[in-house]
This record gives sequence, C-alpha cells and structure tokens, in this order.
Amino acid sequence: MSEVLNQLSLYIHCQFDAFELDIKQTLTLKGITGIYGRSGSGKSTLLRIIAGLNNQATGQITFAGTVLLSTDDNCFVKAEKRRISMVFQDSRLFPHLTVLENLQFAVKRRLTQKLNIKEIIKLTELEALLHTPTSKLSGGEQQRVALARAILVEPKLLLLDEPLSALDFTSKNTLLQLLNKVSQQLQLPILYVSHSLAELQQVADKLLVLNFGQVEAYGDIHRIIHQLNHVENSTSQLTSQQTSLSLPVKKINESHQLITLALGEKQEIQLPISTYLSNQWKENTEDQELNVRCFILATDISICLTEPKDSSIVNQLFGKITAISAHQHQVLVTVNCQQQDFFIHISSYSLDKLALRIDLSVYLQFKASAVRTQIR
Amino acid sequence: MTITNPDLLALITTLKMAGLTTILLLIIGTPLAWFLAKMKSRFKVIIEAFVALPLILPPTVLGFYLLIAFSPQHLPGQFWQQATGQQLAFSFSAIVIGSILYSLPFVVQPLQKAFEQLGDSLTEAGSMLGAGPFDRFFNIVLPLTKASFITAASLGFAHTVGEFGVVLMIGGNIPGETRVLSIALFDHVEAFDYARAHLLAASLLIASMILLSLIYLLNHPAKQKHNRVKRVKS
Repeated sequence: MSEVLNQLSLYIHCQFDAFELDIKQTLTLKGITGIYGRSGSGKSTLLRIIAGLNNQATGQITFAGTVLLSTDDNCFVKAEKRRISMVFQDSRLFPHLTVLENLQFAVKRRLTQKLNIKEIIKLTELEALLHTPTSKLSGGEQQRVALARAILVEPKLLLLDEPLSALDFTSKNTLLQLLNKVSQQLQLPILYVSHSLAELQQVADKLLVLNFGQVEAYGDIHRIIHQLNHVENSTSQLTSQQTSLSLPVKKINESHQLITLALGEKQEIQLPISTYLSNQWKENTEDQELNVRCFILATDISICLTEPKDSSIVNQLFGKITAISAHQHQVLVTVNCQQQDFFIHISSYSLDKLALRIDLSVYLQFKASAVRTQIR
Repeated sequence: MTITNPDLLALITTLKMAGLTTILLLIIGTPLAWFLAKMKSRFKVIIEAFVALPLILPPTVLGFYLLIAFSPQHLPGQFWQQATGQQLAFSFSAIVIGSILYSLPFVVQPLQKAFEQLGDSLTEAGSMLGAGPFDRFFNIVLPLTKASFITAASLGFAHTVGEFGVVLMIGGNIPGETRVLSIALFDHVEAFDYARAHLLAASLLIASMILLSLIYLLNHPAKQKHNRVKRVKS
C-alpha cells in the first residue's frame, strides 16, 4: 500500500462554548495509532469528527486520497458514506437483535465481500454467543461483538473510542490481545482513543498526544512515551514516568516461570510469564521473532555504582548516564543501555550521595515483577 | 348494497374518519415528532406549544377558526376549491383535516418522548455500519419504538372517534358524509331517544375501555409477566 493510501490529513478547527479543537497533523496509519490525552483534551471529539458524527468542524480532512471534509469546497461526506467504522465506549449493540443479527446488520450493508463472517466470529471467539440476546452479554462480550460488527462492515479505517474503559482487568487484556490479532491479520488501520497509556503501550505502534485540543506530540509509541517523561505540566502529569520497551524473546525458563528478553546482543531482561505472554507465545506458531511490549516505571528502577552481586533482584543492566533533570527534590536520570534509554526516578539526596553525572557508567537494578506487560 | 340505518352509517363514517386521520397523523406526526425530539433551537417550545394547543383549547374555538379558514372566502378554502372543484367546509375532507389538528398532540407527544428516550447512540452506531437515514429509521428506530407507535396510533384513533365539537363546527351533520357517532348520540339525546343513545354511548365506552387496556397491556408486558410469575410462585 502506498504512503498516500495510508494517510489521514487533519486540518480542522472546531469551536465549542469553552473548548477549542485545533488540529493540523498528517497521520500515517499503519497498524494501531493511539490517541492519548487527559479528559477534555478533545480525543473523542476528534474521533467523532473523523467518523462524520460531528459536523461542526471546519477545515479539511482527507483519508487515503479521498476528501471527507472541505469547508472551502462545501464538502461533507456523511458518516455512512465514509467507510469508517467505530467501536464506542458503550458497545451500542442493537438490543432488538441477537448477536448474530447484529453481525448480519453489518454484513448486509458492506460494499465489499472480502471477509468471511464465520472467520470473524472465530477470530473474536463469538461462536457460543451467536443466538444470545445482547442484554444477556457481559461487558467484555458486548465489546467483542461490537468489534466483530465494526470489522464485518469492511471499513477502510476502524475507530475505537475508549473501548475498554468499562471493562474489568481480565476482559481488558483479552480484548487487547484480540485487537493485536485483528490489526495483524486483517491489515486494518486502527485509530484507538484511550486515557490509559498502559493500554496504548500494549497495542499502538504510533501515538498522537492531545493537550487542550491541540497536538502535543506524534510519533513512534515508545519515543513519545519517553518524550512525555520530560514534559512538565502537560499530559505526562497524568501518568507515571516510565521506560517503554518492545524487545524480542530470547528464551523461556519454564521451570522458574520466567521469560528472557534480549536487550541488544549482550544484555537481557527477565520477567514473569503471565497468561497474556503465554498466550502470545502459543499463538506465535510461525516461528517468527516474538516481540514483547513492556514498561518499567521510573520509580521501580534503582541505580548502583558498582556491580550488584548476591542480590535477589534478577535484572541488572550496565549503562551510561545520558541526562539528568531535576525538578524540586525529584530527579529523573536517563541511562542508555545497549542503545535503549531507561528512565530512573531518584531523590536529590541519592543524586548527591552517589555524585551522579552525565557519562558516568552505572548499574541499573529492577525486579522481574517490575517489568509490566499487562494493564492493571 | 345501500346502508340505511343512520347509526350504522354514522359508525362507518366515524371509522373512515378515524382510520384515515390516524394514518395521516402517523405520516405527518412521525417526522414532526422526530424534528421536535432532535431540535435544539429556542423556538422549539413555540412549536411544542402549538402542537399541544388542542389539549386545552375548547374544540369549538378550533372548529370556529377552521370553519372560517375552510370557507371559500379565505385562502385555504379557495385553494381547496380550485384544486378539487368542491367546497371544503361541511365535507368529509374538512372533518379529517380538523381531526388531524385536534388529535395531533395524541400522536406527536408519545412519539417525541420515545425518540428522545432512544437518543442518538444507536442511530450513530447504525450510520457507522453504513446505514442511511431511512435504513436507520426502519431497521433501528421503528423496531425499538414500536410500542410508542402503537400507543400513538391507538390514542389518535380513539380521540378522533370521540370528537364532537370540531366536527360539528366544520362538518355539520350530513348523514353519510360528516355525521359521526358522537353527533348521532347527541341527536338521540336531543330527540329523547335514550334507548338508542344508551346503545351508542355504551358501545363507545366499552370500545374505548378495551382499546386503552390493550395500550396499557402492551406498554407493560414485562411487568405484567413478572407479576404473574410472582403470583404463581407465592
């Protein structure tokens, strides 16, 4: 697919009573693009404008070379004509229809016939629920049906508006795995709005950060999460400073229930095997390199000047300090290990005690359990 | 076959008037109710008040103004005469138009309430699945507000059957044309024919009671079922 076919150009302005959305950004949509920001930052409004559900916006929206909105040319493509589908926070299943009838509603209205309904039912694991009234479904099941329905209409772009926000921990992780599968198997570009960075870190390839109706950052998910660590009084204040990683699996130690990730050629990170990782491992049948997305909170890593020995802490990395930024009595230290930045939160007392400085070689320590792969 | 019984003729005229009025009310009332449910303008209250006016306005007032409007001296009456070649006042068409205006709130209000309660969320979901406006209405809105449509149609029909003042003012009392049951009843009372008056009054009363009971039953099926189950268990 050429670059243009993946591009979503947004040059829009939308004025509300006490809020203004002003976006000038071109997104290259491949895989999942996360849209992140605090409540009221304009995430859901932006999604509704792209979907065509909000007609108050002015400016221009172009997707895959097609103009969806152009105020200058008096052009506004109706929502039902955009070939964009959406999964809402509240699944919005039609209550007078069963699960299967909800899915057939989409199938009857699609313009192309590429997807097989049975395959999508299997992919979303809905076989046992097909004849169930939607009122009898759990929150997680409802969202699975909503996702299957949105896929079956064969959109060119899928929008997800906080689809996990009303779900419990287990349902969230199940649906995240499903989203990963959908994105990979169907090659469907997805825009995923969430106020949970942990959620987005697990699935998104790129991240668009909104702050007070404007774009604060856009780019590779890990780079943007790291960038947010350094931005004060912004969206980053919503979340903890962290190191975001996507590393290949090196080996699995089943006897100790640990998985080892390769950090460059020489170092490694160990973390506990979870059901989530175990499922990923089992599903990776094609002998491809399995990458694990994980994050480590800056408060969970400690710095040591000498090599720690005889410690129960399994992860010990060697690196060099590349940045030190102090804010009042809190210090954020950036340490580069094997071309990968790690962020460590320490007190100004520790900074003085260890006499840390840029280019100093240090050891980092963190427990296996500090390496998180699941949203909580 | 010519029907000569004046009461039977009045019944047929009433059913024709109420049936046609109900169908036209559903055709006119549905988009009006939808418009009012979605409208955010400050002028909404004025339209709502206009629709609700027949609820409190004496029927004779409405009938009086319609009689003037339908006369050949005024624009609506003139327009009708030019279009059809017949006078509007004291015709079957006049009592149907009068009934539409008089029963409008009984159809519009339940539908407006149903559309407001339904909200936009499911129709938005429909448009995200490629459904256009009519598709959304017939496949999402209509099945989910079916009970309100039945209520609106029943109330509109029952209210039109019971109409007296407006029909008398603009339709007069022409057998087979504008003489409806309520006017026939009035005629029997005036003629001290209480036996026939009783027959008509009791028939209307029982028919109205049955219709209203059906509406309530339809609107509370779950509750009725739940109560029945509870009674059986206890």
